[in-house]
Amino acid sequence: MRPGSEPKDGDIVRAVLAGERERYAVLVDRYRDRYARYAARMLGSADAAEDAVQDAFVRAFDQLAQCKEPDNFVGWFFLILRNRCFAERRRSRAEAPLEAADSVAAADRTDGGAETAERRRALQLALMELTPDQREVFVLKHVEGLSYGQIAERLSTSIPSLKMRMHRAYDRLREQLRDHT
Amino acid sequence: MSERDFHPLVKQLLDGELTIADLPAELRAEGEEALRLLTGVDRSPVELPAVTQRVMQTLASRPAPAVPAWKRVMRPREIRLRIRPWVLAPALAVAAALILLIWPATPARPAPLVTVRFVLVAPDAREVSLAGTFNQWDAHATPLVRSGSTGVWTATLTLPAGQHQYAFVVDGARWVPDPGAPAVDDGFGRRNSVLTL
Repeated sequence: MRPGSEPKDGDIVRAVLAGERERYAVLVDRYRDRYARYAARMLGSADAAEDAVQDAFVRAFDQLAQCKEPDNFVGWFFLILRNRCFAERRRSRAEAPLEAADSVAAADRTDGGAETAERRRALQLALMELTPDQREVFVLKHVEGLSYGQIAERLSTSIPSLKMRMHRAYDRLREQLRDHT
Repeated sequence: MSERDFHPLVKQLLDGELTIADLPAELRAEGEEALRLLTGVDRSPVELPAVTQRVMQTLASRPAPAVPAWKRVMRPREIRLRIRPWVLAPALAVAAALILLIWPATPARPAPLVTVRFVLVAPDAREVSLAGTFNQWDAHATPLVRSGSTGVWTATLTLPAGQHQYAFVVDGARWVPDPGAPAVDDGFGRRNSVLTL
């Protein structure tokens, strides 16, 4: 490693597997915020996102020996977090999703005025009414700013199937938001 | 398409493939409505500074991640041999005797071979391969072939009779158990398919 250069993910994964478990903190620091916004928009709550990201890192540690490509730890970790978010939504669908969405918007009321906060709250509530697949493609494209090609690569799927999901999502959002647009 | 569905051109506008000026005049109002929808997108960052400490505290009480036995065996390691001639001669003699004793007593009886066809339906996959005990879990060793445009991937292998564990690897990253075969837990929270021949 060159002086001052950051260790690669693969080097850290191999060090953790060799017994240096404290080095796992480097990976957590490096990636904990990268997908926090994805988890928050998928789950409708920053608190739920924090729990999901924490659980995903713990699960990734437990299964670290199963990481087939240590240099692509982050891609593998994203899939664990994604599974966690999908499982969470299945589990909590009946548990007052509207309150969860309120908690995301409430945190934003100070930075963009009441109108912005209201638009965000309305869209987040509408997003929670989509299927997880539809919500995910919307979040990855319009919140995370990924292209269809990048999303297809990350989720191992095709661009036409992503567009189909997204276009259904647009129609459902229009239906949900007809009083807000 | 229902009355409340966006026009396909408006969806292209939302996808960023068209601008409002590209829409015919009669669709511009619908286009503006669609763009207003996106003004509610919240791209503000979410930061979780406490997660690192919470994760590391949780890990402190957990066992180290288990490395599978086959990985431990396959891990390269340095072996140093110091040859002592006075030890080598008796050792060679013992080895030769063992060979003479064992060779005629254990005639090779290879397990019978069975031809098996593996099938996975994965219309969205770009590539599919097979990894298992029969190819040392090498995700690149045994690619499946796509049959036309149906999304059916197949591979035909000739394997020794006995029990084999395996999984499909979709697009080089996603490990998928065979939906048509029984599966067992691999001890790490994932499922391996089991094939008994």
